[in-house]
Amino acid sequence: MKVQQLVPRAEEVELEEILARLRDVSGGTLAPFAPEILSFCAEFSRALFRDPEAKRFPELQALAFWMRKAELERLRREFERLKTDRTLLVPRGLVFHVPPANVDTIFMYSWLVSVMAGNRNILRISPRAAQQTTIICRVFNQCLETADKSMRNNTVMIRYGHEQEITAAISAVADVRVIWGGDASVNSIRSVHISPHCKELAFPDRYSLSVMRASKYLGLDEAARRDVAAQFYNDMYWFDQMACSSPRLLIWCGGLEQSSSASAIFLRDLHDEVLRRGYALDASGSMNKFTFLSRAILDQPVISARQLDHQLTVAQLENIRNLDRDHCGGGFLFQYYAEGLAALAECVARKDQTLTYFGFDPPEMAAFAQSLNGRGIDRIVPMGKALTFNRYWDGYDLLTEMIRYVYVE
Amino acid sequence: MKFEELLKLPQYSLPDAEKEQILLDGLNELDAHHRRHCPEYDRLVSVLWPNFLKAQTLQELPYLAVGLFKSHRLCSIPQDKIFKTLTSSGTTGQQVSQIFLDVETAQRQSAALSRIMTHVLGPNRLPMILIESRALLQDRTRFNARAAGVLGMMTFGRDHFHALDENMELDEKGLHAFLEKVAGKPFFIFGFTFMIWQYLFQRLPERGVDLSQGILVHGGGWKKLQEMAVSNSEFKRRFREKTGLSKIYNFYGLVEQVGSIYVEGKNGYLYAPNYADVIVRDPLTWQPAPMGAPGVLQVLSLLPLSYPGHSVLTEDLGIIHGIDDSSGGRHGKYFSVLGRIPKAELRGCSDIHASQVGG
Repeated sequence: MKVQQLVPRAEEVELEEILARLRDVSGGTLAPFAPEILSFCAEFSRALFRDPEAKRFPELQALAFWMRKAELERLRREFERLKTDRTLLVPRGLVFHVPPANVDTIFMYSWLVSVMAGNRNILRISPRAAQQTTIICRVFNQCLETADKSMRNNTVMIRYGHEQEITAAISAVADVRVIWGGDASVNSIRSVHISPHCKELAFPDRYSLSVMRASKYLGLDEAARRDVAAQFYNDMYWFDQMACSSPRLLIWCGGLEQSSSASAIFLRDLHDEVLRRGYALDASGSMNKFTFLSRAILDQPVISARQLDHQLTVAQLENIRNLDRDHCGGGFLFQYYAEGLAALAECVARKDQTLTYFGFDPPEMAAFAQSLNGRGIDRIVPMGKALTFNRYWDGYDLLTEMIRYVYVE
Repeated sequence: MKFEELLKLPQYSLPDAEKEQILLDGLNELDAHHRRHCPEYDRLVSVLWPNFLKAQTLQELPYLAVGLFKSHRLCSIPQDKIFKTLTSSGTTGQQVSQIFLDVETAQRQSAALSRIMTHVLGPNRLPMILIESRALLQDRTRFNARAAGVLGMMTFGRDHFHALDENMELDEKGLHAFLEKVAGKPFFIFGFTFMIWQYLFQRLPERGVDLSQGILVHGGGWKKLQEMAVSNSEFKRRFREKTGLSKIYNFYGLVEQVGSIYVEGKNGYLYAPNYADVIVRDPLTWQPAPMGAPGVLQVLSLLPLSYPGHSVLTEDLGIIHGIDDSSGGRHGKYFSVLGRIPKAELRGCSDIHASQVGG
């Protein structure tokens, strides 16, 4: 079966050859955090920072930042701490990554953790992938030219659509399968068998929200408020608000009057920020949002709605007990006034992933997470960090998911 | 002016300002009527237009996103008054629009359509060619907008000839027999734009067929023809060259507003009938777009009593080219449709958009 390979070289290759190459251990395999891996990733990060085309995409710069040498060193130290006297850590083998079609960089994070752990990798790139993915492949191949030979047999990226036979051939030999990309993709790929020893990580559709303490917000000076708006903008508008961790529901904690005056100032500032950054939707996105708003009014307890141009629509909710987790993206915010975190706790659902916060302390948020006792929410991070990836994602510790423990007594 | 009186006026005779006043009164009444009888409509208006009481201009009227007819049951009559339910012809897996008609609305639709069609066809019923197969109408499980549209149009012709068989093959023999029988007198051809191109025009014998006495009325959208790079003027030119057919009228209409179709005039633009109108809105601000600027089409119609479809924001782009000043002698606005809003892909973690407006 011929497939279009993008990495390590753009060419048509027999899939069987690729898989044979990836499983060939005759040249030795890389240990977790081997120097060859670290130096390749650090070089890839530097190349992304330098590349004139990559410079134009903030998400690629964020990826480069996350892969810089100091960060990799930190990850290595964390890895070392996982070892005990009687356990040592080894790679799982071949990891099959199935990233979503239309997020441009998130899949690189799971790749990074996997490669650091010493695994070999094969990634499916969608034919619909955006320009950012093309840039990643190009820069990746450039870095391979000067990299250690062992790295050239480590990672393969191939482009294909939904051909099940390709997915099946790879799944049959993979030791870990990682599926990103929403409920439909997860279900469709799950129907393809993996080998009995293979483990699977799935990242289905998620929902994310944000909580702000009104009194703390009202106590800020103008400059600090503008900064809050900028942080919220980054969380909300990157990836057109369609990333699983983009906030879609904003909850103000405090008295009704406080909350509504805080909201009025905040939304005005956020709208200014949106204009300043030049965020623009096209006609189809705008139409989609108007239809979504209309449906929300019919199906959700929406009491009022404001459309601040096409970039920002805000629908005020009367309660959030059974809020539908469906969303249109593109700058649509549900808003709710709650007395405190306790009122929010009742409404958390399994689908909820990231909670960003402003005006609370980490211990308060930890207590809140404890009170949920696993009913939902996998990440609680300060406002501005919704999209900041780390090894803990969707309730997994990716680092330990990518290794096996060998017990030696 | 009452709807019945409006029907009696010559089609396309109303100057825009006069028409606006008539429509405004009627649509304000319809707005109040649907607010009383359709709770969903009332809720939408009260949230989206919180202080709305009565429109002073057509542009102030509330409008519903057309996609809502796919996701919600929007109805202003009790269940036992539903006379017919129309559904749009979506492909498998797509949600379809559901339109609930009572007897009165259905009657208004056919009366209105009749006024438009006699303007095009003249007062007498003509022999008629349908670019459809008989099978479409026999299969009642697929009683969709296409079948309803065909049935509606059949009443304006006689001696119907279905030009396609079940396999969508042109019945060439039957066509020649039909043409022989009409013997140089006018006849009426109806079908959907794409089907006419694909199954009639492209299957005509090389030497052509004489359709010069025909009046062709077609609608349903240009999407598939655009993919084949066939524009309206190209469509007309090719037909004229090959068949001598020169009376060709494209129309624009939605299943959400059956009966209120916008038929092309001699200059190739579309015209609103007396009891309907269009507004073009800027898709980013939803404000009315200036004349000549493209935007999303909103269609207004006095016909719908049984469901709140009197003011619908479509998913089509259009341009209003002028008002009252067209060369063809018709009054009112004239416009063109540019096709569906192109679907862009938002980014995001999910491969499938959570709430993409259904196609």
